Amino acid sequence: MLPGVTADQKLFAETAERFIRSTCPVSTVRRVAQREEELDGGYFTEIGELGWLALFVPEEHGGGSPSGQPVLDAGLIAEQRGRYLQPGGIVGSNVTALAITLGGTGEQRALLDDLAGGKALAAWALGDPAGGWEASAGVEVRRDGTGFVLSGAKGLVQDAHLAGWFLVSAAVDGRPALFLLPADAPGLSVEPLAGLDLTHRYAELVLRDVAVPASAVVGQIGGDDLGERLLQVATVLTVAEMVGAIGELFVMTLEHARNRAAFGRVIGSFQAVKHQLADLSLAVECSHAIATAALTAVQEQAPDAAELASVAKAFVGDAAIDVSQGCLQLHGGIGYTWEHDLHLYLRRLATDRVVFGDPAWHRERICRLHGL
Amino acid sequence: MSGQTADGLEAYRREVRAWLAANLDPRDDNEPARLRGGDAANLSPERVAQQRDLQRRVHEGGYAGITWPAQFGGQGLTAAHEEVFAQESRGYALPDLGIAGLTTTRVCGPTILAHGTDEFRRTHIPRMLSGEEIWVQLFSEPGAGSDLAGVSTRATRTDAGDWVLNGSKVWTSGAYYADYGLCLARTDPTVPKHRGLTWFGVPLTSDGVTIRPIREINGSSEFCEEFFDDVVVSDANRIGAVGDGWTVARTMMVFERLGGDPDEAPRHSGARELAPDLVALARRVGRLGDPVTRQLIARAHVIDLVKEQLDAYVAALAESGAANPNLGSYGKLAAGTLNPVRASIGLEIAAAAGVAWHPQDTEASTTALNYLNGRILSIAGGTNEMQRNGISERILGLPREPAHDLDRPFNELRHN
Ligand SMILES: Cc1cc2nc3c(=O)[nH]c(=O)nc-3n(C[C@H](O)[C@H](O)[C@H](O)COP(=O)(O)OP(=O)(O)OC[C@H]3O[C@@H](n4cnc5c(N)ncnc54)[C@H](O)[C@@H]3O)c2cc1C
Ligand SMILES: Cc1cc2nc3c(=O)[nH]c(=O)nc-3n(C[C@H](O)[C@H](O)[C@H](O)COP(=O)(O)OP(=O)(O)OC[C@H]3O[C@@H](n4cnc5c(N)ncnc54)[C@H](O)[C@@H]3O)c2cc1C
Repeated sequence: MLPGVTADQKLFAETAERFIRSTCPVSTVRRVAQREEELDGGYFTEIGELGWLALFVPEEHGGGSPSGQPVLDAGLIAEQRGRYLQPGGIVGSNVTALAITLGGTGEQRALLDDLAGGKALAAWALGDPAGGWEASAGVEVRRDGTGFVLSGAKGLVQDAHLAGWFLVSAAVDGRPALFLLPADAPGLSVEPLAGLDLTHRYAELVLRDVAVPASAVVGQIGGDDLGERLLQVATVLTVAEMVGAIGELFVMTLEHARNRAAFGRVIGSFQAVKHQLADLSLAVECSHAIATAALTAVQEQAPDAAELASVAKAFVGDAAIDVSQGCLQLHGGIGYTWEHDLHLYLRRLATDRVVFGDPAWHRERICRLHGL
Repeated sequence: MSGQTADGLEAYRREVRAWLAANLDPRDDNEPARLRGGDAANLSPERVAQQRDLQRRVHEGGYAGITWPAQFGGQGLTAAHEEVFAQESRGYALPDLGIAGLTTTRVCGPTILAHGTDEFRRTHIPRMLSGEEIWVQLFSEPGAGSDLAGVSTRATRTDAGDWVLNGSKVWTSGAYYADYGLCLARTDPTVPKHRGLTWFGVPLTSDGVTIRPIREINGSSEFCEEFFDDVVVSDANRIGAVGDGWTVARTMMVFERLGGDPDEAPRHSGARELAPDLVALARRVGRLGDPVTRQLIARAHVIDLVKEQLDAYVAALAESGAANPNLGSYGKLAAGTLNPVRASIGLEIAAAAGVAWHPQDTEASTTALNYLNGRILSIAGGTNEMQRNGISERILGLPREPAHDLDRPFNELRHN
C-alpha cells in the first residue's frame, strides 16, 4: 500500500497473503463466523511464527520487525487481514505488547515472549459501552492500600473471548492509567455481545470490584503519552484493516460490473454504473492516501501523528459506509444474500468504523488537538 | 550550479535564502487574501505591470522555471530544488499574475515545452518565465466544452502557408490582461473530428481579435469571450503537426488536471492549521463551542488533509514510474466533489450571517463568495463527469462510452 515499501516489507506482506489464502481464506472465515468451526490456537502460533505479533516486541523477547518500522510493518499485515476479513483481532495483542515494551515492569515483560509467539493473546479495553474512548470511560478506580479496586464496564472489546490478558485503561484520581490484568482475575468477566460484525466478536468486559496490585500498572499513572501512543497505533492499524477491506470489496464489485450482463451489455458499460465506480474508487484511493500518511506519521512519531490518525479514522470511517453501500447497490439482488461475501465486508466495516473511535468522536478530538 | 546531493541542496538553500532576503519583500500577512469575486477581484493594469516586474526579478535571479530546461530559460534543476525554493520563499511576497499566471506556467508552458519547435520554445518559454508573456487557454467554445474535440473555430491556410482564424472562444480565464492564447482550431472539417485539429499560439493583440469580459456568478469578470475575425497567424506559431492537435490536447489535459487548485494554500506538513477560515467564521458568529459547528470545522479539516494527502500519494506513485498517467483525475475529482462540500460547510456555520450582511462589513461576504466559487473546479478544467469517464475507462478499464462521432467527418455531425 505504501509507495515506498522496501523489498523486505513486500516479502512480509506477500507471505502474509499467501498464508491467509491457504490457511484462513474468506470461506473459512465464514465457517468461523457461523460457528461451524472455531479458530484453534494453531492459527495464532502460526501467525506468531510469521512475526505478526512480534513487531512491537524487543529482540531479547523474540520480537522484531522486518523493516525496523513496526507501525508500517503492522500496517501491511493489517491491510492483508482486512482484505481477507481475518478473525481473531490482533490489534489488542500488538498494542499490549507495545505498552509493555514501552512501560512494562520486569515481571510484565516476561509476558512479551508469549505475546510475540501467539501463545498468549491480549485485548485492549479502552472504550465504554456508551461509545466514549477516553481512558476514564466506564471504569471507576478506587485506591486500596498500595493497590487499586476497579469497577465498571468496558465496551466493544475485540475478540475478548480469545484473550488471556486485558490491558484496561482507566483514570486514577483523574489521571489516565493502564492496568494489565489476567483474564482470570477475580471479579473480571467477559460478557459476549451479539452484533453486526460476524468476523470479529465483541464483548463487554465487566469489572466487579476487581482488586489489582500496584504491580499491574503499566507505565506511569498520569503518563499521558503512553495511552496516547497506544490510541494512535490502535487507530491506524484499525484504519489499515479497513482500507484492506474497502479495497477488496471494491475489486469484487468492479469484477461483478465487468461480468454481469443486462440489456445485452455488461452493467459496467452503463455510465450510471461507471460513474458510481469512479466515485467509489476515489474513496478507495483517498482512504489509501490518508491511511499511508497516518501510518507514516505514527511510525515516525511526527508532531502531526495524533491529528493524522484521527483524520484517517474520521475519513475512512465515513468512506467505509459509502463504499459498502455503493458496492451493495451495484451488486443488485445477489448482494442482498447471506451466501454472498459482500455482507461480511459491510458488517465488519460498519463495526470497525466505531472501534477505537467513530468519525464524530475523532472529529471532536481533532478540534481539541488544535486547542479549539 | 548546485548538485543533487544533500550537501548540494543545502548549499542551494543558502543561496536561495540569501537571494530572497536581498531581493523580495516579506509577505504581508495582514493583507487580506485576494478574493475571487466582486469587481475588486479583477487585476488592474498597474497591478499586472508591477507583478510582471516582480516576476522578471525572480527570473533574473535564476528562480523561475526551476525544473524547466536551461536551454529554454529555465534552471534545469530537480523537483527537490523547487521544493527548497517553495519552502524558503513562503514568507515572501512572490509574484502573483493571477489565474492567467497559473495557466501560463502550469498548462500552456508545459504543453509548449512538450510539443513546440525549438525555435518557438527558445522565443516564448523564457518570456513566459520572465513575466513578459502571459498565456491563456483558448480551448472552450460556446458550442463545445467537455467535448473539446468538437471545437469549430476554423483555421484555414493561406497561399503563403500562414493561417487565418475565424470563430470564437469562451470562458477564457484572465484573457483581459493576457498576451497570448494557446488555441485549438479546426484545420480540416471533412475528416473525423479528432483528426482535423491543430494548435496555435495566438498573439491577443493581433488585428481581428476582440476580447470581452464576461460577468461571473460571483460578480467579477475573470473569464472572457474572444472573437476571431480573419486573424492572421504565422505558421511559425503552430504547435504540433497539422491535424495532430488531439495528441497535443491529451498532453495538455494531463497538465490541466495536475494544475490543481489555484485557491489552495501551499502544502506545509507538520503544522497545518485547523480550517482557519472556518474557525474565524465560527468565532465571528459566536459558535465555536457549538458541537455541531465543531463537527463541521473538523469535517472541513479532514477534507483539506485528505486532498493534500491524495495529491502527495498520486505524486509519489507518479515518481515511482509505474503509475497510470491518468491518476491526476483523482485529484481533480476530489477537488471537484469536495470543494463544494467545504463551501457549503461555511454557509452552514454562518447561517443567517452567511446570506445577509451590513454593506460596510466586507469580511462577511466571504462565505457567500466561497459558496459561489465552490464549484469552479467541478466544471473548469474538465467537469466531474469527464473525470469519472476518464477514471472508469482509463484506470478501471471499463468499456468506453458508445460513440456516435468517431468515424464520421466533423461537418456531418450534430453540433451546436
Ligand atoms: C429484498 C429483495 C426482495 C426482492 N423480491 C423480489 C420478488 O418478490 N420478486 C421478484 O421477481 N424479484 C424480487 N427481487 C429482485 C429485484 O427486483 C432485483 O434484484 C432488481 O430488479 C435488480 O436486479 P438484479 O438483482 O438482477 O441486479 P442487476 O440487474 O444485475 O443490476 C446490478 C446493478 O446494475 C445496475 N444496472 C442494471 N442495468 C442498468 C442500466 N441499464 N443502467 C444503469 N444501471 C443498470 C442496477 O441498478 C444495479 O445497481 C427482490 C430483491 C430484493 C433485494
Ligand atoms: C471558472 C471557469 C473558468 C474557466 N476557464 C477556462 C479557460 O481558461 N479556458 C477554457 O478554454 N475554458 C475555461 N473554462 C471552461 C471549462 O473548461 C468548461 O466550462 C468545461 O469544460 C465544461 O464545458 P461546458 O461549459 O461547455 O459544459 P458542457 O460540456 O456543455 O457540459 C454540461 C454538463 O454536461 C455534462 N456532460 C457533457 N458531456 C458529457 C458526457 N460525455 N458524459 C457525461 N456528462 C457529460 C458535463 O459534465 C456538464 O455537467 C472555464 C470554466 C469555468 C467555470
